[in-house]
Amino acid sequence: MTMSTLIAERHPSDPLFRADRLPHIWCPGCGIGPAMHAYAQAMVESGIPLARHVCVSGIGCTGRVPGYLNMDSYHTTHGRAIPFAMAIALVKPELEVTVYSGDGDLFAIGGNHFIHAARRNVDINVICINNFNYGMTGGQVGPTTPMGARATTAPFGNYEQPFNLPHLAAATGAVFVARWTSLHLRQLKQAMLRAMKKRGFTFIEVLAPCPVGFGRPNDIGDAMEEMTLYREGCVVDPAAPLDSLDIDLRVKDRPIVLGNFVDVERPVFDPLAMMRPTSEAENNTAVAGKTQEGQ
Amino acid sequence: MTVTTQAAPAATQEQEMLISGSEAIAEALTLADIDVVTAYPIRPYDTVMQAIAKKISGGKLVAEYIVAEGEHSQFEIVKHASTVGARVFCGSSGVGWAYAMECLVVTPALRVPMVAMVGNRALDDPGAFGVEHNDALFVRDLGWLLCWIDSSQEALDTTLIAYRVAEDRRIFLPIAISADGAFLTHSQAITKVPSKSLVDKFLPPYNRGDLQLHPDNPITVAPQVNEDWVIEIRRQNNAATERAYTVIEEAYADFRRVFGRGPENPWFEEYMTEDAEIILMGMGTLSLPVKVAIRKMRQEGKKVGLIRLRWFRPFPYEQLARALGTAKAIGVIDRDYSFGSPFGSGVVATEVRAALYNAERRPPLIGFICGLGGREVTLEDVYKTTEICYSAAKAGKTEQATYWLGVRE
Ligand SMILES: Cc1ncc(C[n+]2csc(CCOP(=O)(O)OP(=O)(O)O)c2C)c(N)n1
Ligand code: SF4
Ligand SMILES: [Mg+2]
Repeated sequence: MTMSTLIAERHPSDPLFRADRLPHIWCPGCGIGPAMHAYAQAMVESGIPLARHVCVSGIGCTGRVPGYLNMDSYHTTHGRAIPFAMAIALVKPELEVTVYSGDGDLFAIGGNHFIHAARRNVDINVICINNFNYGMTGGQVGPTTPMGARATTAPFGNYEQPFNLPHLAAATGAVFVARWTSLHLRQLKQAMLRAMKKRGFTFIEVLAPCPVGFGRPNDIGDAMEEMTLYREGCVVDPAAPLDSLDIDLRVKDRPIVLGNFVDVERPVFDPLAMMRPTSEAENNTAVAGKTQEGQ
Repeated sequence: MTVTTQAAPAATQEQEMLISGSEAIAEALTLADIDVVTAYPIRPYDTVMQAIAKKISGGKLVAEYIVAEGEHSQFEIVKHASTVGARVFCGSSGVGWAYAMECLVVTPALRVPMVAMVGNRALDDPGAFGVEHNDALFVRDLGWLLCWIDSSQEALDTTLIAYRVAEDRRIFLPIAISADGAFLTHSQAITKVPSKSLVDKFLPPYNRGDLQLHPDNPITVAPQVNEDWVIEIRRQNNAATERAYTVIEEAYADFRRVFGRGPENPWFEEYMTEDAEIILMGMGTLSLPVKVAIRKMRQEGKKVGLIRLRWFRPFPYEQLARALGTAKAIGVIDRDYSFGSPFGSGVVATEVRAALYNAERRPPLIGFICGLGGREVTLEDVYKTTEICYSAAKAGKTEQATYWLGVRE
């Protein structure tokens, strides 16, 4: 029996990526790639021309994302993606600015920027790949490493309380807060679309396998096993109380809760508002290109 | 009034181990029985912090291991731990060291004898993991004592010596030990690891005396003094740095007495310099290719030698002027840059030129910038350097003050 072969010369997403940057640096099974693809698709479906999207990252494996996307992008210093993005969003409010970075970058060394940008409700989207460790530097314990999980700098298991990121984002003022995993790509893309439509500070946490840094020391065989863990251990519950969203892998059968948890309205940070005549401030023409959808 | 953590079981005999530069430092820290260490990952410094974590988890070292959320807090934490009497260790690389800058400024000013390791790495941008010396060098004017090492053995020995010097009451200044990223931090060599009892003979416990923060000894650390006292305090700092010349020599002499090894000249290593017409200079692991090249050139009758600088602060200007005086030409290879500097030279070449200014003989000196961003310094680079030095020797003057070597056009 002859097998017919189907060879696709081009992938529909090809124009979104920089093929000349391949091969990429990511390990087999890394969760960053699929989540990046969800973001690329969301940009296409957002109806906002690609030329108006900007992607900003800090440093880390996740931080490499802007380098692979065929769009305006910035690879800033470690921890500083948010102030950088904030400057772009304030100077050019017609742009759709998304920060795409890792848990260590956004919540360890750069944590201060996150809480203040959320407090001010700056019009940016923050997407955090949470792989529970500093992947790029070799699997060290970080501010989202679950209690008890092992890392190169936590050989007895982490004993520090990690951040519950959706809770933190909501408490500090984010207007849209979601958590998905690199297994839940359709829901993730929908959440990204919602964030792109919304004005103000939005936050999406993406749980993603890092088989090398997090999987190996924690006896998670490979990326497939971590994906299985997500499939079996995750429940979607958008109404779950925010303070119940912490992740504790030590407690067997304790679910990881996913969903779009927060979607509210709040005045968007606009430092020039007080200087504009009232009528102008009310319908700020600078952002007329972005429509605010109701809930 | 000293802070003591429980002591861990120590090795009673000298051992030989196959370990990297970073692992050798962790061995020394175990022997020095440090009390507090802080960590924030960055390549190549992360190799040391992981080696220390292993020491602690293996029960070899009892110390507080604090995982900070960035280098700024990493250096702040150890600084304060030191003021209450803890023996501390810290370190970073490249931009991580840069991010700690505010604390790096304060540490010598507060007379904190911190020992830090800099796994030398190019500063971003453009991003690179490889070695350049500019990271450690930017604290050179602030009262940090700075040294460069080129082997695992020297990493271990220098770490012990560093505590001895830093914690000497005549000094009380921080010391940064620089290790070339990858070339030393990651490569292994047979290393002698001494017994704890010998180390105890060499390294007394840290005693901060009346400067120790303690409820029974209320003092204010880092008060605002304004112009009333700033210049006096700066001068005290300078005096301590000057005393370091004596204290470092004493420490090396004692090291040799206790361990039966170690260099006689703490300041720099001299390799085939006795009869050398051309003396090449540099810091860190570029000594390896340079030595190989020198051996090959010697076979062809070229009289070339190497001075590998160990201590950059305090800078051994008198000793260098003596050692370089007999050369016909000097070639300084910098693994750093100093844009807009005199003659466009690297940092070491500029310092050596200044050191020779008052010397009786001032041979022609040529600066070479080479091996940036972790690029290898090749034998070809060294031959080229020597050739240029020979023509300067023949002409009796320097045609061009600085060359960039191994650069793609
Ligand atoms: C100031 C500074 N400190 C440290 C580093 C080293 N560094 C590079 S990536 C990284 C952590 C990245 O972790 P995360 O943000 O979780 O991204 P991941 O690699 O896990 O995707 C660190 C600490 C740096 N580049 N700059
Ligand atoms: S180390 Fe982890 S986060 Fe980095 S590429 Fe590999 S799997 Fe992905
Ligand atoms: Mg991470």
